Amino acid sequence: MQVKVLSARFDIPDAHKIEVAKEHGAYSTLEKVFSMQPEEIIELVKASGLRGRGGAGFPTGLKWSFLPKNIDKPVYLAVNSDESEPATFKDRYILVRDPHMLIEGIIICCYAIKSHAAYIYIRGEYTTQVKALQAAIDEAYAAGYLGDSVAGKDFKLDVTVHRGAGAYVCGEETALLESIEGRKGQPRSKPPFPAVEGLYGCPTIINNVQSIGSLPFILTNGPDAYKAFGTEKSPGTHLFGISGLVKKPGMYELPLGLPILEVIEKVAGGLRDGRTLKGVIPGGSSTPVLTPEEAKTVTLDYESMAAHKTMFGSGGIVILDDTVDMVKLVENLISFYHHESCGQCTPCREGLGWMLKIVKKIIRGEGTTADIDLLVELCDNIEMKTVCVLSAACTMSTRSYLNKFRHEFEAYVKSNASTQTAM
Amino acid sequence: MADKVKLFVNGQEVEVESGKNLIDAIGAVGIEIPHLCYHPALGADGNCRMCLVGIEDGRPPLVPACKTRAVEGMKVQLDTDKIKKIQRDIMELELINHPTDCPICDQAGECKLQDYYMQYDGQKSRMTVPPVLKAKKMDLGCGVVHDQERCVLCARCVRFTRLITKTGELGIVNRTDYARVNIFPGRPLANRYALNVVDLCPVGAMTSQDFRFKQRAWFLTRSKSLCHGCSKGCNIFIDHNREKYKDDVIYRFRPRLNSQVNGYFICDEGRMTYKLENENRLNVAKSAGADVGINEAIEALRRALSQAKKTVFLISPNCSLEQMHSIQKFAAVCNATLSGYSDGYIKKDDGDDFLIQDDKSANRAGFALLGLDSSKAGFEAATNGADLLVSFQNDISRFLSAAEIEQLQEKMKIAVVGSYVDGFSEKASIALPVASYSEDCGTIINCSNIMQRYEAAVVKNTPALDLIHVVNLLGGEIKNCKEAWADLAVCNAALANIDLEHIPSEGIALTDNEVSNVAA
Repeated sequence: MQVKVLSARFDIPDAHKIEVAKEHGAYSTLEKVFSMQPEEIIELVKASGLRGRGGAGFPTGLKWSFLPKNIDKPVYLAVNSDESEPATFKDRYILVRDPHMLIEGIIICCYAIKSHAAYIYIRGEYTTQVKALQAAIDEAYAAGYLGDSVAGKDFKLDVTVHRGAGAYVCGEETALLESIEGRKGQPRSKPPFPAVEGLYGCPTIINNVQSIGSLPFILTNGPDAYKAFGTEKSPGTHLFGISGLVKKPGMYELPLGLPILEVIEKVAGGLRDGRTLKGVIPGGSSTPVLTPEEAKTVTLDYESMAAHKTMFGSGGIVILDDTVDMVKLVENLISFYHHESCGQCTPCREGLGWMLKIVKKIIRGEGTTADIDLLVELCDNIEMKTVCVLSAACTMSTRSYLNKFRHEFEAYVKSNASTQTAM
Repeated sequence: MADKVKLFVNGQEVEVESGKNLIDAIGAVGIEIPHLCYHPALGADGNCRMCLVGIEDGRPPLVPACKTRAVEGMKVQLDTDKIKKIQRDIMELELINHPTDCPICDQAGECKLQDYYMQYDGQKSRMTVPPVLKAKKMDLGCGVVHDQERCVLCARCVRFTRLITKTGELGIVNRTDYARVNIFPGRPLANRYALNVVDLCPVGAMTSQDFRFKQRAWFLTRSKSLCHGCSKGCNIFIDHNREKYKDDVIYRFRPRLNSQVNGYFICDEGRMTYKLENENRLNVAKSAGADVGINEAIEALRRALSQAKKTVFLISPNCSLEQMHSIQKFAAVCNATLSGYSDGYIKKDDGDDFLIQDDKSANRAGFALLGLDSSKAGFEAATNGADLLVSFQNDISRFLSAAEIEQLQEKMKIAVVGSYVDGFSEKASIALPVASYSEDCGTIINCSNIMQRYEAAVVKNTPALDLIHVVNLLGGEIKNCKEAWADLAVCNAALANIDLEHIPSEGIALTDNEVSNVAA
């Protein structure tokens, strides 16, 4: 089931070094890229059907075409490598094992959007990734792939690594821009959208590492080769981070559209012996949980996830078996989002803390049925009333547990104790 | 006039100014959109979420009104169940960690949280878990006391120090519900406008050390007036109250919007000049150094005027136009030389490019209009050989040393017609107490040649006579402020075209010709 498109060089020793990467095809598509018009590249990326791999799945080529035409301001590219969504660990493989694929993708993207400055925003704690990436960027400058004349062509491009201070919210694209600008990472109100008014007030495209990393393959092999993978509306491959209670957790590259249960069974080695499936988090902690029954019909693509009222997300699949206490999982979940709320706007700042205290109260055995109802109501009251979607990431997922596993919450309320082991 | 657009609010068509945001545009026609963080002087931040409104057929359908411009044909929904529920929900969230200590909170009575609770919320608390505890009664400097628990994190104060004073002392530290307004360690508020954050704060989080616990807001009478602290003429509210068995006392000055003069703010020094109106007032008349009744003192001054060989009238640049005019007329009658010498009111290099002016008097421009000399040479020439000096509100001790005043005293008799006990009135052999500007009406011209009118705000239990009345009793022709008005327009051709009776609340910007009293 596994494929090697993005991960083609991952297992080659020293592929993070430019000479090894070049031996295996890195930067080989640039000659073709510079022979094309920028608009042609945008059309080609549109034709490939590549969708943003950060979680929302917005078509990448379409996003680029939102840039205003004929403007006198510089255009920026910001590559989002904050990768802070719990259960997500895909971009780190690109940064550490094949950073030149990302740099090549950045060159392609910047040429297409006519940008001469790209920022790679990396969460501050990711020191391994920062070191690997910076070393690769230094190599690329030395080899003439970055700088005043990219690959000997009349195209200037500078790439800067910007380290965050460690905040989930900085993965939100406008908070990311604020952070690059040196301010507290708090999301901006939209509109204006970054494509019109982004970094330093200039048009800015923000793409996920994996989206940019997919470009060299698309340019080298053409959109049809990319579309050969996946489904019609979700073409291509994805780096899935599979974790949780399975035998072989890990990062696997798979084409989109595979049945989720089959992937768990065949790729991740299935559940531990004697355990039964209780739920699946399909794409990072913020995506609504799937019950085993729902999981039977879910395939790993944007349409199937939407049809099951959840989201494809970031490809971080978490498998939950019968040992998992869903109430404590929710406590963990809310505790994370509460901690990461930027505190800017009222509903998220005040509401998530309240929700956390209510869940803790339920776990202490002091809760009532009214508390469960209040939690459900608070999810509705907070969601989509905020500047960004951080609170929605918390409420959408929390609501799914409250609805699908309400009996577990009620068990705490009634018996004042859980018979299950904590996760 | 700005362009108008037609839009619909709750299905009803209204015409509003285009280009404004929905809060201001719709607010101008009397429809309130609740908001905590938005302030016209500080712009939209969009953090409180109280102003979320529905836009019918809109993308997105729910928008913060503070960040949304009024557009032709827009269908704004304010009274739908959905919007009402959002307002109620946001209020609930604002209040869950709020201490609700209204009985001991200074803001009670003028608090947005209270008002909005009554108007948009009204439900019982569902908070059954302990609230977040934060710091209380923090001294942020400049007399600002902060209560983090009452704070709704609207960031108005933070934005004020960043956008208006550009000093940036305040910030919001921490994330999530640990977020709080604070100063940097050891770096308190240090700007001359800091107390404006108390007015800006929509709740009781920022309180004034000076005003705290002195009065409940609902007992205060808010009277419009003009600050006399410098030549800017900032518009203020005088908040005063007559407690049972006590006198009418001023408790605070607050800025009053005048976009032509001071905008939404006043400086801290000007704000604190309210104390001069309460304390250290000249209340008792004096004659020959002894306390006497007012009539006796007036009689003594009349006598001195009739006996004097050479009289000098010293006018304060704080006097209103009407007062100046009546004194000027009276000077002609009793053959007195006029001087407006008052260099001591000018504090060099004290002003800034915002509100504070070097000139600490309110109506120096009035001297130019009425052709009054305020030079030192003029004063020296006038006092040379004089045997009587009558000061009208002018505090000579601001620019003459005690020794110089004594020298003056040896040469001539000194009389003061004033409102305050100052270094000069103490030396005077005759002193006549008169009403100060907070108890009187008048017209003044500020440093930008804007003519503004103020009315009496405070009525004392034993009101002092107003200055024009005293001049009249001394023998002046003009009886009161109104007469002075009428006469001013007749005597000053430049003012003939200005309807003095109807000076708008924003004041009138005078032309250069009008100020220098040149007929058009």
